[in-house]
Amino acid sequence: MKTFYTMMLLPALGGFLYGQMEPGTYAVSPDLSGTQQNNNKGKKQRSSKGKKARDNRADDEDDEDVDDRPSRRGGGGSGVNDAGEPENPRLLGMEMPLLDPSSDTVTYNGGKFDVGNNAIVRARFEKYLQQNPDDSTEAKRYRQRMNDLLKLTQNNARQHSEVGSQTLLQIGRGLYEINDYSGDAGQAATLASAIASALAVQYANRDRERKNEQLTKEIEKLVRDTNIKQTRNENRPTKEVGTGRNRRLQQSQSKSNTFLIAEQTTEIATKKGTKVKNDADSIAATELSKVNYQSTLISFLMQRRFEHALIGSFAYRHIFRDGDNKLNIKKDSQASKVFEGGAGVPPTVGTIASLAANARREVDQNMEAVANLMAQNKMAEATQHLIEAVAIGEYMPSVCTFPTESRRRIAEFWTLRKRSLSALNARDYGTLEEIADKMKEMDVDFDDSLLRTYCEGRKLQSDMALRNARKAFMSGDEEAATEYAEEAALIWPRNPHLKEMQEEVLKLDNNAALITEFKTLLDRHQYRTIYNERSKFKVVAIDPELEKKYEECVMLIGTIDAMLQQIDVAANQDKQMGPCMAYEMLLDFMDKDPRYMEDSAFKDAVVRFKVDAQDFVRALDEAKVQEERREYGSALANYYRAQCLCMPSNRAKEGIERISQLILSAKFPE
Amino acid sequence: MARRKNKKGSGSSRAPLAICIGAAAVLVVGALALSGGHKHGVSAASQNFRISDYRTDASRFTNNRYSIEGRVENIETLGNDRLIAISIPGNKQERLPLLVHSGVAQGVNLTRGDTFLFEVECCTGHDDEQKEIKGVLVVRRVETK
Repeated sequence: MKTFYTMMLLPALGGFLYGQMEPGTYAVSPDLSGTQQNNNKGKKQRSSKGKKARDNRADDEDDEDVDDRPSRRGGGGSGVNDAGEPENPRLLGMEMPLLDPSSDTVTYNGGKFDVGNNAIVRARFEKYLQQNPDDSTEAKRYRQRMNDLLKLTQNNARQHSEVGSQTLLQIGRGLYEINDYSGDAGQAATLASAIASALAVQYANRDRERKNEQLTKEIEKLVRDTNIKQTRNENRPTKEVGTGRNRRLQQSQSKSNTFLIAEQTTEIATKKGTKVKNDADSIAATELSKVNYQSTLISFLMQRRFEHALIGSFAYRHIFRDGDNKLNIKKDSQASKVFEGGAGVPPTVGTIASLAANARREVDQNMEAVANLMAQNKMAEATQHLIEAVAIGEYMPSVCTFPTESRRRIAEFWTLRKRSLSALNARDYGTLEEIADKMKEMDVDFDDSLLRTYCEGRKLQSDMALRNARKAFMSGDEEAATEYAEEAALIWPRNPHLKEMQEEVLKLDNNAALITEFKTLLDRHQYRTIYNERSKFKVVAIDPELEKKYEECVMLIGTIDAMLQQIDVAANQDKQMGPCMAYEMLLDFMDKDPRYMEDSAFKDAVVRFKVDAQDFVRALDEAKVQEERREYGSALANYYRAQCLCMPSNRAKEGIERISQLILSAKFPE
Repeated sequence: MARRKNKKGSGSSRAPLAICIGAAAVLVVGALALSGGHKHGVSAASQNFRISDYRTDASRFTNNRYSIEGRVENIETLGNDRLIAISIPGNKQERLPLLVHSGVAQGVNLTRGDTFLFEVECCTGHDDEQKEIKGVLVVRRVETK
């Protein structure tokens, strides 16, 4: 399966093959779609850009990030990349991206890429979502013709019969006919051209075979003639007989035959050489033709033109009838392993057909899953399946005809997902949570727990760093404060408390004198002055401790003012007992909080009511004095006096009860 | 001012003795006169007793006896003993606390709002720790007015 996905994703990641991948486009994200579980689960996600010049703490964190990211550069032919992982297989000198289905990441050139987050895949997918379904008449005719051609080749393949030139020409013509359809992008013509080229080579080879047959005949004739001449020479008498003229004639004939034999022998050798050359040419042309044809098939597979790959694969054995279907890939090479799928079987053209057929089935299954999931409003999973379907089979009919309304819904969810990635890269956790809410609205099954946990953790980290910065600043350690503030900003740059902190620090800087004044007033217990100028002193609230004291001051004086106002009203209602009760209430407040007596307004009120209720005050004071002197008779009479002046007086009542019990418990002379 | 009863009336020499006897005679005559017009005498005494003085320094009156008319305004009880607060006629702004031991008010029902004649003595008592409880008016006799 790994090999299968590898091949399917080759065109999707075509940028790799053409060197279009920008270094900065690398980004690994946690599973935002709810279905992806990439290998960086729960880790901090950051762009590879802008990760410089950070403090030590941040560096530590970044180190973790960097550790999580494999190097983008491979190990350069050593078979192992920088991350210690084995290199991907190479095909035609290019490294082939491998998809790990367990994590939905593609490993290429030492880097891991989230399929749903890769810039190329993303761009292609977004383009797809914005396209209209291709269900025009022309498209339908194209698909019908393509199916006919597939059936034609498959039927012949099943019958094990020779396809023959006529059938191959029929296929070629059919391919040329559908070439006009723009969605085909000229691939049908390419296949037809490859078939024609391969056939031309076969015809040339046949010509050479015929020539070799002729040469063989000629060689055989020359050999026979030469043998006759040789025999004649050998049958001549070895001793010279006859007269002088006959002797010269015999010598002359013998010499002539010898020359002819030599010449014919040379000619035989030349013809044999020509024959060998023709054989060699045929073999070389066949091999070259096979390589070209196989390259075309692999190219179709890479471009996800599975129908073309299938037609070409089925036609292969009818074009090259030597029974050799093996792919011309160097044995034990990385590319060979890709096609072997780890089974150790030599890759053949049948492997290409098998991969293409499986891919078509896979895409159709994915699209079926998309439709079912969308019916259940499971947008995250539907999106993921659609990405896979588009990445593998962008030109498949089931993908091309996906309805517009469904595309729009997926696009809406996809846009949120993309925004979430942007927010994550920008560490804008607030926005990220808002997006997660929207995604959850669209898909109730959307698993946002990881996202939320991550966001909350990072926000808390930032807030804690900010708190430390604030504490350090208040304690005067500006260096540590800056360090903590930087850390907080690095973790969560859009932390709203950062701006507050900045404003507070600025205010604190500008209001150092005010803080000194505030502290002085506090030391002197001049709370009312602080209260009267509370708007001015509000800035001290930057410091939590001063803020607490400021609030206490404002609260205290505010309470006193409100209380005095109420007491005044009550005192005015009863001219006799009112002042007495007011005085007693002030005494009660004073007992509860001694700071009351430090307030000038409170003190003034005490003095004022003391004058207004002077008899009552005198009676209570006298009672207290007499009680201390153990003059309980006088004390009790004074308390009674106070009670006569102010019946509701608690102090008088308590004094009476207390001393009455003392007297009743004591022993007196009878 | 209430009258003080002198308990130390004897002299050491004869001349002063005569003076003392004379004085005693005067007192006896006075007492007879008082006993003849009892109600009037008590009323006069209560008028002379100033609560304001008592409030200032009750110990000053220790061992003195007074007859005071007053209206019972409040009663505190512990066992059979009672501590009552009375108001003296003409002075509603003050109360005078009196300790009424059990048995003193035999035959008299001390009820709030009623006026009585009290014969009181300013005493110093002691608590359980033998600390002084100064200047307390202890009722010796009560009569209904």
